[in-house]
Amino acid sequence: MPTTLELDRLPALATGFEILGSGGGGSTVMLELALRDSSDWPVTLHGVEELDPSLPCLGAAFVGSTMLLTERLPGVAPFAPLIAAAERWLGHRIPVVCSVEGGGLNGLAPFTLGGDRVLVDADLTGRAVPALDQMSLLVDGVPGVVVTCDTGAGGVALVQTDRAVDIERVVRAATIQAGGAGAMVFSGFTVGDLRRHSVVGNTARALSLGRSFLAHRAGPLAELAASLGGRVLAEGRITEVDADARDQHVATFSIEGSAGEVHRLIARSENLALMTDGLLEAAAPDLIIALDPISRDILEVTDLSRARQVAVIQLAGPAWWSRSPERLRHVLPSAYGLDELDGAA
Amino acid sequence: MTDALRLSALLAHPGNGGLRTIAGPADTEWTGVVVETSEAALPATGDGRLAILIDLPPTRPWQQDALIRRTWDRGFRALAVPHADQFGSGTRALAVRLGLTLLHAERPMLLAKACWQLVEARDSLTLAYVRRVAQSIEYHANGLADLLRHLSSSVGHGVALIDDHGVLLEVGGRLSSEVHAAIDFASWVHLTRVPSGAAASVRVDSPSREGLRLAFFGTGLDERQLSALSVAAEVAMPAVAARILIDEVDEVSDASVSSGVLRDFVDLRGTPDPDVERRMLERGWRTSGYHLGFRIVGRSRVDVLQLLRFVTGELGRIAADSHATTSGRGVSGWLTFSEPPTLEQVGRFVASLREIHVAARRSFNVATGVGSLSNGSAGLTTSLSEAADAGRIAVNRSATGYFVRVDGLGLEQLLLAWTGNDTFVPAAHVILAPLRAGGGELLTTLSTYLDHESAVAPTAVALGLHRNTVAQRIQRAQELLGVDMNDPEARLALHLACRAVR
Repeated sequence: MPTTLELDRLPALATGFEILGSGGGGSTVMLELALRDSSDWPVTLHGVEELDPSLPCLGAAFVGSTMLLTERLPGVAPFAPLIAAAERWLGHRIPVVCSVEGGGLNGLAPFTLGGDRVLVDADLTGRAVPALDQMSLLVDGVPGVVVTCDTGAGGVALVQTDRAVDIERVVRAATIQAGGAGAMVFSGFTVGDLRRHSVVGNTARALSLGRSFLAHRAGPLAELAASLGGRVLAEGRITEVDADARDQHVATFSIEGSAGEVHRLIARSENLALMTDGLLEAAAPDLIIALDPISRDILEVTDLSRARQVAVIQLAGPAWWSRSPERLRHVLPSAYGLDELDGAA
Repeated sequence: MTDALRLSALLAHPGNGGLRTIAGPADTEWTGVVVETSEAALPATGDGRLAILIDLPPTRPWQQDALIRRTWDRGFRALAVPHADQFGSGTRALAVRLGLTLLHAERPMLLAKACWQLVEARDSLTLAYVRRVAQSIEYHANGLADLLRHLSSSVGHGVALIDDHGVLLEVGGRLSSEVHAAIDFASWVHLTRVPSGAAASVRVDSPSREGLRLAFFGTGLDERQLSALSVAAEVAMPAVAARILIDEVDEVSDASVSSGVLRDFVDLRGTPDPDVERRMLERGWRTSGYHLGFRIVGRSRVDVLQLLRFVTGELGRIAADSHATTSGRGVSGWLTFSEPPTLEQVGRFVASLREIHVAARRSFNVATGVGSLSNGSAGLTTSLSEAADAGRIAVNRSATGYFVRVDGLGLEQLLLAWTGNDTFVPAAHVILAPLRAGGGELLTTLSTYLDHESAVAPTAVALGLHRNTVAQRIQRAQELLGVDMNDPEARLALHLACRAVR
């Protein structure tokens, strides 16, 4: 049965997607503000099983620097030219929209299209990930996927290829040309493809996580973590931030625990692993979320700095990734060039 | 004796491959050592041993944490790796937290060898030390201190020559007084271990100096190292004893040569002589400039060489070019200045010489004379002669602490000094011989009378006699000597003669 979402669910939904961002994915604030004024509410969210599997589907997302998106706001209908290009290329209208990235601001992106398309609760990652070749459709090798994206100054690029890494590289190049951030649309697949090759029900999960979080926000940290189905990994002060010699995007945050534990939070654009006293406690695809222990604000990697007090909690990652070694390979820390961090049980 | 491997012993080992403690317990010992290329090759049971890894460790902080943790989990209690000094504060904190000693090994293979020597191959350790001692003897040494420096740098520990009062000479560290106090001076070889340090010492069999010991010392040395070092000390000892003897012979011959040069120079009395000038220059003695001569002479028999050794050492504290050599029953020397020093400065230098005199008097029964400041080659002769005169006077001057400076002398003292020479004294004896009859009371009375301005009454008071007795005796002395006491010349000559024979 389709779920109807009223406007008052928006804060919980946004909080849930921030949790699923695992320290990355960008702030949901701008989209939340935009959606608050939308006339599309209430929004109906369909399960993948409830729709005709042959229905064509598209996924909409923002790509590039999420920080840039908070400074240079997207236009009124950022996805419209991209969807038009995709529909023209495919030769038919695409009636259904899903999420591309189920963490951070992109979790809310499909809701901007809820007015004239059917929303389906499925997405291609189930959490924030940095690269386009990590999209579930591409990981499983679903043929015929077409990607359109901004190239700047109203331009549109369309990529159709069987080599996933090309999508990452071409869209990345186009996004840089567009000024560092832009919109992107995945198409060329159906609702039926989503049933097997996407993370289904992730929006419902975001909503449930967000509601739990908001309900237990003021309570003890351990209780808050338990209400989310997770556990507290660390609580303490960041004593050191080490830049990585091999990859400038990798940072290691040393957190001195209250009992003297030596925690290491290893992050790239998302939190990827946490080690305590030399033992690996959590690693991607698990969600590793840093909170301000007092305000309980969900912190992005860019918010972490020396001398800051943080709490780190772990939630299970989307189960979809763990169903085959091939899928897992794309989201383990080693996929990000980090040694000796795979295999946290 | 224990088979355990102590960190302190390893740190004290000279060939430990640049071992440094980075984090974790510093006062610790292990049951053994395992050397492997990488952590993965380490055995699963560490059993409280030290793990030495040859390969470079990972550079990322979490990998370093994991390395520490896995090594600890295997049961090792210390980890020595290259580049451990680059481990960050978090990794160090983890080592402290776990109680694992993290060590930086510049060259892990050398460290492995050092461990092997300490744990399994004590003979190898001994042999290595002995070989290094042999190597250091091979090189030319300029003196005992130089030989000890060679020994210390090749063996890799401090070396000290000690007697039961303290350290005579030490190189490569400081032998603490606690260690010194714990050394048994009676035994042939003694191994000393106290908390502040350790030493292996052996008696030095020297014919010229009794009670010396040669000690290798350091901190943290264990029994195995000490016993190996005691063998090294035994091997090094004959070389040290021989060196002491050679140095003494050198010293004697050097002193006699320089003493000869000085004698020749003084004998010239300012006449230039190119040969003597050259010999003086060879010794680094300059005759140009301004000189302040001094002479330290024994009031009784003194070991002139010992005195010279002492004076030379003390002269080093004076901020002026100084020279000294043995001469007769004492030591002659002088300070040289290229620019004329001010009166005040001269005063300070004389005060320094007086300090040396005072210090010397603690060990030697000496008197010191200081000449006046004089210029040039002739001036040096003058100053030295003045110093010799002043020294002669100082011998009997207890009032000034047996220290006399020419500038501070009265004229009559100078005159008197000259009358003390070989021609005047016998003459004086002959002149005054008639007065010696009958217990010499006439001589005493005459000299007291002359000392008291030829006045009868004060003389009588000074001698505790009646005035008439004094007058009578003076009359008799005049008759015996056949001298007219009213003649000032005769009176002066008599007065000097009385002083000379006194």
